[in-house]
Amino acid sequence: MKKILIVDDSNSMRQMVSFTLRQGGFDVIEAEHGQDALNKLAAATVDMIITDLNMPVMDGITLIQNVRKIPAMKLKPILMLTTEGLATKKEEGRAAGATGWIVKPFDPEKLLQTVAKVLP
Amino acid sequence: MKIDLSQFRQTFLQESADHVAQMEANMLELRSNSDDVELLNSIFRSAHSIKGGAGAFGLNTLVRFTHSLENLLDKLRSMEMKATEEVIGVLLLSVDVLHSMVQSDVDQEMSKDASELMVMIESLLTTGSTVGEDGSKTSGSGSENKIIGENKTPANATSVYSVSFVPDREMFSSGSNPIVMLRNLADLGTVLSCKKNIDELPLLTDLDTSKCYLSWTVEIETDRPVEELREVFEFVDHLAEIKIERLKAAPAPSLGPTLVVGANPVVGENTPAPAKPIALVPETGNAKKPQTTSTPSSKKAAASDSGSIRVPIDKVDRLIDLVGELVIAHVMTAQMVEDFQPSLLPKLRESVAAMERNTRELHERVMSVRMLPVGTIFHRYTRTVYDIAIMTGKQIRLEMAGEETEIDKSMLEMLGDPLTHLIRNSADHGIEGPETRTAAGKPAEGVIKLRAFHRSGKVVLEITDDGAGIDPARVRAKAVERGLISPDAQLTDQQIQMLIFEPGFSTRDTISDLSGRGVGMDVVKRNIQQLSGTVSVSSTKGKGSTVTIELPLTLAILEGLLVRVGNRTLVLPLLSVIETVPLRDNQIVRVAAQGEVVQIREESIPLLRLRRYLGLALEGTDSSELGGHFEDDALGNRRLAVIVEANNKKIGLVVDELLGQQQVVVKSLEQHLHKVDGLMGATILGDGCVAPIVDVTTITELNLFSLQPTVKLPLAVVPADQSAAIA
Repeated sequence: MKKILIVDDSNSMRQMVSFTLRQGGFDVIEAEHGQDALNKLAAATVDMIITDLNMPVMDGITLIQNVRKIPAMKLKPILMLTTEGLATKKEEGRAAGATGWIVKPFDPEKLLQTVAKVLP
Repeated sequence: MKIDLSQFRQTFLQESADHVAQMEANMLELRSNSDDVELLNSIFRSAHSIKGGAGAFGLNTLVRFTHSLENLLDKLRSMEMKATEEVIGVLLLSVDVLHSMVQSDVDQEMSKDASELMVMIESLLTTGSTVGEDGSKTSGSGSENKIIGENKTPANATSVYSVSFVPDREMFSSGSNPIVMLRNLADLGTVLSCKKNIDELPLLTDLDTSKCYLSWTVEIETDRPVEELREVFEFVDHLAEIKIERLKAAPAPSLGPTLVVGANPVVGENTPAPAKPIALVPETGNAKKPQTTSTPSSKKAAASDSGSIRVPIDKVDRLIDLVGELVIAHVMTAQMVEDFQPSLLPKLRESVAAMERNTRELHERVMSVRMLPVGTIFHRYTRTVYDIAIMTGKQIRLEMAGEETEIDKSMLEMLGDPLTHLIRNSADHGIEGPETRTAAGKPAEGVIKLRAFHRSGKVVLEITDDGAGIDPARVRAKAVERGLISPDAQLTDQQIQMLIFEPGFSTRDTISDLSGRGVGMDVVKRNIQQLSGTVSVSSTKGKGSTVTIELPLTLAILEGLLVRVGNRTLVLPLLSVIETVPLRDNQIVRVAAQGEVVQIREESIPLLRLRRYLGLALEGTDSSELGGHFEDDALGNRRLAVIVEANNKKIGLVVDELLGQQQVVVKSLEQHLHKVDGLMGATILGDGCVAPIVDVTTITELNLFSLQPTVKLPLAVVPADQSAAIA
């Protein structure tokens, strides 16, 4: 089973994404912010990361930059979960190493479609 | 796959309510730190989270409003705009709107307040000011809500496309996988051919496996619009060269290519398209939303959920551990009882003791589940004070301490209103205007301090202001005027100050809009008393006032002193008990027509004969109960006075015997009987008897200005046959 790490400071959003992914047949681990995610990644490998951008402690962009430095995570897909359809955010994410994005409002079907779009 | 997210609705709403509260607190803090980026970021994140979740539940109005607010916040956090008082005012109003939207939990039309605010926000964004705008300008969020029904290529005509996909060498570094994209592309139709180009592939020795050297050309036959093909490569349009060419329109379902004109229902026969057409969702699209989420039933769920509590996971874990230990202890005990031999007795005792320890700890932990930090209600008062300061033109700062102090959840909820009242009082009546303050040699800014802490097993809340204080002369005059005291009553300043808690007392001749309509402090006092707490005030004219509220940690369980009065067992809350003294006749002073007092270490403490007070039947003749002397009773036992204290007032309760102390569970009497003054409830003792619990606060109250122990009490103490019904 593919394992996905979801990083979001919003409890409900995390729960919804997790729930949807589990329904979609994925194994899910959760983190509350970038630093939490890095800690979790030190203990487990995942096949993919979905991360929010605006988070306390460590934001999504910084997380992506750091994740790309982890050898095992170098080539794994990372999706940004964001309300901002803004081109600048997308560019910033891409520059950091993000694979793609999911635009909120959260839509479960769309999430699974997007995951399928990048996950081998 | 249809995924129902409605189960997360409650979590979302509760979380949003937290976000709203957090935003409000941060906005108020923003007033003193208007360029604190972290604060602004935090507010932005809150708005952002609300918006993100709201969309998933079809709360479109909420989405629109937060979006508009977010625009403003974004300008602020990027420092393109300054958080002036005006802006903060708008932000605070927005929080109010958000609050009501989150509370209502159904997607409603934008309220008038909300629409006006959005216009204000829009005007702030464009002109930097809420004024100077005639209001006719429509809010910018209109476009957000509009769903553009763009005309896509008709979806049911098949075409053949050639897709050339040339990934950049660095494509892998973004976590993108060309094979996945090719697979996704193939899912959209029938792949007629797929050519791989390996011209760029270097010799094995030069190969860098982290680089992408391959490229592909795919011919695909599909009924999907070209946009969908393009969307497959959406994430890599910067990392690949993608060319999509339409080779020909719609070959026939069979092998031979024939032209199909217009819509063709034949398609789909052998087109291996996914069963469900994928609707193209525009990026702003809130077009398709789970429709099921805003049904009335979920509204009902919201109401019933208001009784929920969030418990830190470690508390729960510890509970589970304890239950585990309890189960083990039980199994061991049961085993020993099963194979019992006298020699096992010490071991049996030990394991029973272990069970008892577990039970006690379990009890404590379970109680702590209900405990919440008082900070959860403290923070709303910053806003209260802010509003009053704005309305009255005063400068007021609210300082808080001890927010982490925990208190029972149900008490916390009931404390909200009395605290609001006290804080309004301090801000409205206590703190003076800046000129008055400066003239009195005080700083122009008044300070209200809200403090919570533990003191001898109780939770203490203190509201202190450095305002005008209470003028005893004025209070006294008013009390006389209202007939609360006689003009010649001898009262200490402290007693006079306590008069403000009397029903119908209000020193303000003009009723302020903010606080007080003549039903002020007495309501506060009653509320606090309902929580088995006490409230007192101390004040120095010109210097300020302090209102102190003392509360038990929890209402449900208390440590009780069991006493016998007549043939009944009563429970006295141990926290109120100061000492127990044997009574000798020579210590008693009878004050004419006012009752009895006992002299203890130079102090005169009024005595109350519980038996008479509670109207207990007189079993056996007992001269003492007829107002006679405190002789030893027939068995030679000495009568005792239990000295209890509440509201800084002491009283001695005459009892026949002390039976011991134990924790009792307080059960309400009101389900079974009417409210009985002087009793806070009853409990069931280990032997199954019902024992009334004395409410020390009301008992001492009754004796505040009159020391007559024979107060007419409508006390119908539970007759023995009815008492069994109390459970």
